[in-house]
Amino acid sequence: MEKILSKEKLREWVGKLDGCEVHAPAFADSVWNYAPVQTGGDIDLSHTNTVGSVKAFAFPQREVFFRFEQAKGGAPVLTATVPEPRPTVVFGVRPCDGRGMPRNDKVFSAEFKDPYYWARREKLTLVGLACNEPHSPNCFCQSVGGSPHSEEGLDVLMTDLGDRYHVKAITPKGAEAMERAGDAFNEAGAADQAEVERVHAESRQQPQRPIGDLAAIPEAIKQNFDSPVWAEMAQHCIGCGICTFLCPTCHCFDINDEATGANKGERVRTWDNCQFPDFTMHTSGHNPRHDLGARLRQRVSHKFLYFVENHKTQQCTGCGRCISECPVGIDIVAVLERVGQS
Amino acid sequence: MVKVEDIQQCAAGLLEKGQVKSVLGFRRGTAGAMAEPCTITEAAEAGTLVWDPTCLNNLALYLVKDRKQQAASKTPDIRPIGIVAKGCDSRAVAVLLQENYFKREEVFVIGVSCEGTGVIDPKKVATLLKGRSPSRVEFDGADGFKLTLRGGEMQVPAREILADRCLECRAASPALNDVVFGEPSGERGYATPFHAAKEALGASETERWAAWEHHFDRCLRCFACRSVCPMCYCPECVVDSTSFVIEPQTSAEEKANRIKWCERSPNTSESAVYHLTRAIHLAGRCVDCGECERVCPVNIPLRLLNTMLEMEAFEMFHYQAGHDLSQASLLSSFRDEDPNSFIR
Amino acid sequence: MSNPSQTTATAPTAPQEHEPRIVAFQCKWCTSAGSDLAGVSRIQYPANAVPIQVMCSGMVSPMYVLSAFNKGADGVLVSGCHPGDCHYMKGNFFARRKLYLVQKLLQFIGLESDRFRMSWISAAEGTKYAQVISDFVRDMKALGPQRKLKAKR
Repeated sequence: MEKILSKEKLREWVGKLDGCEVHAPAFADSVWNYAPVQTGGDIDLSHTNTVGSVKAFAFPQREVFFRFEQAKGGAPVLTATVPEPRPTVVFGVRPCDGRGMPRNDKVFSAEFKDPYYWARREKLTLVGLACNEPHSPNCFCQSVGGSPHSEEGLDVLMTDLGDRYHVKAITPKGAEAMERAGDAFNEAGAADQAEVERVHAESRQQPQRPIGDLAAIPEAIKQNFDSPVWAEMAQHCIGCGICTFLCPTCHCFDINDEATGANKGERVRTWDNCQFPDFTMHTSGHNPRHDLGARLRQRVSHKFLYFVENHKTQQCTGCGRCISECPVGIDIVAVLERVGQS
Repeated sequence: MVKVEDIQQCAAGLLEKGQVKSVLGFRRGTAGAMAEPCTITEAAEAGTLVWDPTCLNNLALYLVKDRKQQAASKTPDIRPIGIVAKGCDSRAVAVLLQENYFKREEVFVIGVSCEGTGVIDPKKVATLLKGRSPSRVEFDGADGFKLTLRGGEMQVPAREILADRCLECRAASPALNDVVFGEPSGERGYATPFHAAKEALGASETERWAAWEHHFDRCLRCFACRSVCPMCYCPECVVDSTSFVIEPQTSAEEKANRIKWCERSPNTSESAVYHLTRAIHLAGRCVDCGECERVCPVNIPLRLLNTMLEMEAFEMFHYQAGHDLSQASLLSSFRDEDPNSFIR
Repeated sequence: MSNPSQTTATAPTAPQEHEPRIVAFQCKWCTSAGSDLAGVSRIQYPANAVPIQVMCSGMVSPMYVLSAFNKGADGVLVSGCHPGDCHYMKGNFFARRKLYLVQKLLQFIGLESDRFRMSWISAAEGTKYAQVISDFVRDMKALGPQRKLKAKR
């Protein structure tokens, strides 16, 4: 289903999504991020990319697995807390973030179907927005097999045509979201189709960060496992968690029991981070990845070697957040280039 | 105007003569307009050093990092390190000296005066350009910047995109130095000291809590603020437990009863414990380099917590971090006339 | 974007008057002895304060204060010897400077300024101890439960 939506009718569409939680990018605190849209509220889709990725809608930073309680002398009582979210529609998802979701889906279903992730994921509709021009100098979606108008992982893809959007349903879930506001849309004519194709073709010509030979990277990483390159590239790394927390595909987590009273508590999953010192810390105090070079190697290897081995695709979608937001300019594209050379 | 050639020559000279083992400076990065930190060990590399309004980092952090590495090394190399330092960075070096983190002769401070301006605040640039980033930022005369964007250039008065720390800076040229480039410069008259903290204090209690609840709630706990701070050198932070060694005989009870000051969950309450602890731990030590605030991916105005405490330290205890090497630190000293009226 | 996770419902407010919980860090040499004196003198004062004996007010880390608020204290009191009377000569002077900053910081983020208090109470001041606690409890009743820094549990 391909339709045309004039820009002023976007609000009408959002208004018809009653019963759904709607999120869209908003510019607040000097940064674009997803924010809930109030009923009848406006959506501003002039965003670059949101600082946080769309993964948090299915994989929130904090998830309660269950609650436990034990009265004195009694047996422990567990209460399940599998979430039952309302249907959620997210607008303005950039294609790189869209491509992140199928990768996360693989992780949370390959060996075990994670009920918490899927409870949220199944209720999630992603309305993408093609990038007519790169929103940051660090975009490299095309270098990792994506494109500025990739449909992978999205339910709907919108393309900005100046005064109107071209809106294409990609999945039945996306079509359903569009049908909610049937009259708001117009049929897309041949001229619109030609215009979309022109805009898409033009967007693919925009400058992006190049990665030489993507296919050769896994082998290059293997060859360089013990190379001093990693320590060199991580020389100024400060070991914070920005790169992985903002990444649309980083999915490592930690599980802790948090006391909520004298004899009760919750088992909680929170995002974890391979750049933190306690990530690989053994109970004995030994830390196999004791320096920042080893941690950088892990982050890059997970995305471009281990994930390729396990799931036949890169885990990186080229959004460029880890590069743009790094406080000291560590650049995954430059790291790959350097590793490829040595 | 500071000539970058002077800095380059100075660095090359130090390395050639073997006076330092390395020089910490800035170079052009690959990740966009911002300069990135670099460590050069050969005089031939000195040509890569740059000096422009995107030299944001406080490089004193890497003096701390080196010290930690040397302490863990079997063959420590304690030859001096050269460091390119702005006014605030040199104060950080001074605090580290005051705390005996290393000795004066182990560091060679290549001071650079920020003169009339300072460094940009990428957040203000983001607000100006609504999220877009410039490809280049240069000085444009004594009180302006030139931004290069896709399809054009843009002149912006310094005041508009200068970092808050620079607007409020009282000592833009490094007081602690072995050599200094650029004209000496003190207060520049952009804003009065502690302006932002004072303004925040002007809000009502309810408004202040609403703001901070919003900030603590957004915190991702990526700990970039802690990681980037040269004063946050504790081997173990209260929010981690990397030194809680569990031995075969450690009982379940001992594991359960270990002190957990703050949970891993990024809740308002837990993030408040983290940020307030960090703020108080930096009281009298924060040199207002503003790095914590700059690196925050969700733009929590962390600098306010620190400058507010520095304001109290200055106004109530006449104490300025990084100004007097022989002075006892703020919290290890007292005066009889310290405020007492708040005590019952 | 806040983290979309399940939120634990906060406990419904009890219809009866709020009974505040106050955590009192009191130094072993003066205030603790003062509280003992209040006890043996049979002075009546509210039982809402949880006394925690510390060796000196100077050893009270700001973390203790923050942690008490995190765990649900409505008020936190740090009490030591009068200036000049410290058993360790100057511990209370260090405490005064440090906790002044803690108080300012808590005010800055918008916690009610009354919720954190310091007092100097000597071993001979049983009456003053009872008075300080009574005043604190009265004021905390008026303020109601502390929810700002308390973990949502």
